[in-house]
This record gives sequence, structure tokens and C-alpha cells, in this order.
Amino acid sequence: MTGLMASMEACIPALRRYARSLLHDRQDADDLVHDCLVRALDQIHTRREDGDLRAWLFAIMHNLFVSRTRRNKTAGRTVSLQEVGEDTLSIRASQDVHMQGRDLLRALDALSEEHRSVLLLVSVEDLSYAEVSQVLGVPIGTVMSRLSRARERLRLMLEGETTPALRRVK
Amino acid sequence: MTDPDLPITEDDLHAYVDGQLPPGRRPEIERYLAANPETGRRIAAYQDQRMALRAALAGVSEPLPPKLDLTQILQERRRPRAGMWRIAAGLVLALGIGGAGGWFLHGPATPNRTTLALSLLEQQALATHTVFAADRRHPIEVGAAEEAHLRQWLSNRLGRTVVPPDLTAAGYHLIGGRLLATEHGAAAALFMYDDAAGKRLSLLLRPMSTDLRVPLTDIGQGDMKGCIWIEKGMGYAAVAALPDTELDRIAGHIRAELGTG
Repeated sequence: MTGLMASMEACIPALRRYARSLLHDRQDADDLVHDCLVRALDQIHTRREDGDLRAWLFAIMHNLFVSRTRRNKTAGRTVSLQEVGEDTLSIRASQDVHMQGRDLLRALDALSEEHRSVLLLVSVEDLSYAEVSQVLGVPIGTVMSRLSRARERLRLMLEGETTPALRRVK
Repeated sequence: MTDPDLPITEDDLHAYVDGQLPPGRRPEIERYLAANPETGRRIAAYQDQRMALRAALAGVSEPLPPKLDLTQILQERRRPRAGMWRIAAGLVLALGIGGAGGWFLHGPATPNRTTLALSLLEQQALATHTVFAADRRHPIEVGAAEEAHLRQWLSNRLGRTVVPPDLTAAGYHLIGGRLLATEHGAAAALFMYDDAAGKRLSLLLRPMSTDLRVPLTDIGQGDMKGCIWIEKGMGYAAVAALPDTELDRIAGHIRAELGTG
């Protein structure tokens, strides 16, 4: 396996993690990662040699996700958090942060997809703001305003008690 | 970058949380946060949030399912293509076409044609290096002592000017060269070099369609490493048992010498 292939392989866990935050079903998320890898291998010669490989892969995956969502818009249905079983939850916390993590991840799921994407790419995947702007295909100012709103909403949800996402459905 | 009078914006505060501030600006932000406790608390909450998200998500790593195994994806991609070129090569032979040089597939350069060209170049380069570089006595047909003849002969057979690049500056000396055959019966050329320690480097030149253009791409198999690229109707492959960085350096010399860099 060449150096490039090894670098690409090293990105797969991050791609899966991000895919699961976009799609709630683990199977769907892995399908998205698979399609992303196939497309990346097809387009590997078009990649700028000095560009960051991770950002490039995230961009491919994001574009696939967007075109798929657009296609499925009519057929798709929204699954509420309460319907989702614990094992299919998009993202699962590791054991030691389970209690704190659960609230956090629920709050995260309650964010809009736009806000969640920016927050995760920046906070968890460590992409630079410029890279996030490329991945999502939006101006950097939009990245910053989404980041700002995402953080503030998450903070209010975690500090407040009666946010819609955390309210119990009777 | 660190003008002390620069106003502190919301973007700066996020850059502070994410460690993306320009160098030197951090102390200013810290002073500002100390002077504005309410903002300070909000930013501290963002920092906690960032750490909590990482703790909750970054640790999750499960074994990869087979469909996400890159090696397997690569094999699945190559299998049908290998079949495709066999059919195409068969047609070329049966119809007696596909003369010297040239590429048997025409039309605009699609990703698939490029991938196919790279795959053929890679396979030929690795196989050729394996067979000829290991041959201590007869790695080449015509030696560097007859370089003028070597150039003339290979240029005639490939139907274009072929010159072995001078890699003295990179520490490699030309041993000589040989003629090679491609799958579809065209001619390709191999130049063999060695360094002071006798370590061999092979350089394959294979005529390809003029519309293909591929920047430096890594290839390799075990200890054998290589770089391939396609430019101006020629596919190049440099292969040696060397670390990637060393190969990149040599590939740089080759490209500079050939004027393809």
C-alpha cells in the first residue's frame, strides 16, 4: 500500500464519525463513507498535491451527502430522537463520559445539520476555518457565523432546562 | 498580525477556543476575557464544550467493516478494468491496429482512462524493476558507454526523442537502457541507474495518449517504492528500494532534467 493509500486509510475513522453525525443510521453512514472512498480513488489524480488530504476527503463526502439528501428529499422522512433506538443513535459516547456525553450528544443532535457540521469539523476534526469553508462550499464568514450560533445554542441547551430537544415527550 | 489596537471580534474569540489565532494574539484575548467576565464565562463554556465533544466522539473507533477496507475497494475497482484492457488489447491485436506508440483508447481523458493508464504504468514499472534491477550482470541491453547509440535506438523505436536524464546531481549514474514491450505491442524504454553503493533505480518511459496528464503519484509494493507521472504524451515511472522522501528528491531531479517538472 502506498503512502497516499495509508494516509487515506488513516482518515477513515474520522470520516465514519462525521458520516454518523450527518446520517442517523450506521449502515447508511458506512455506505456514505464507502461511496466517498470510491469517488476519492477515482479522482485522486485531480487532487492538488499540496492540499490537505483530510479536508479533500471531507469535501467529497459532504458533496455526496448533499446530492443524496437533495435526491431523497421527497422520499425521506424525519426520525425524531425518541424513535431512535440507543444502538442506532448517530454518535455514541464512550463509557466514561456516558452520563455527561448523553446530554451533550442529544443537544448536538438537536442542532440543525448546518450547525452540527461546522461544529464537528472544527471542534472534533480540527479542520481550519478555511478548510471547513472549502469542505462545505460556503464563505468563511458563513462558517464563522454558523460556528458561533452552534456553540451558543449548544451552551443554552446544556445550561437551560426547557429546551425543545431535551423536553420529555409524554 | 498583532496590532494591539485591533478590535477583538467574535471570530477572534472562536479562534481562541480552537487554537486558530494568529501567533502572538493570545495574550490580548486573555486580557480582554479577564476584563469582561461575562464573555469570559461564555468562552470558557465553549472551551468545555469543545473538550466534551472530543472526549465523547474522538474515542469511538470500531473495527472497519470489509466494505470500508481500502485494499478491497481498490481490488474491486481494478478487476473489471484489467478485464477491459485485455478485451481492448485483444481487439487491437485482432484488427492489426495500434501501431507504434500511441494509446489504444481515444476520446477525452476521463477519470477511468486516467486510472487505467496509471494502473498499467504502475504494473509495468514494478514488474520491470523487479526483473531487471535484480539482475546483477545483465540489467540492460546497451550500456552508458554507448549512450549516443542508446538514445538513437530507443528514439527510433518509440517514435520520439528519448534521452536518459542526467542524475549525477542526485547521486545516480546511468548504467544503460533497454527496450520494453507494452501489453498492446508498443515500445517502451527503460533506463537503469545506480548510486555509489550500487543501489539501483529504474526509470520507465512509456508513450501514452497526449491528453492525459497526471501529477506525481506514489506507487509501491513492499520495500519497492516509486513515483509515476504522465506528461506530454509520455508516462514516467521511477522505481527503487528507497524511502519516499528520497524518491521524491530523485523524481524532482528527473523532472527538472526532462523539462517535465
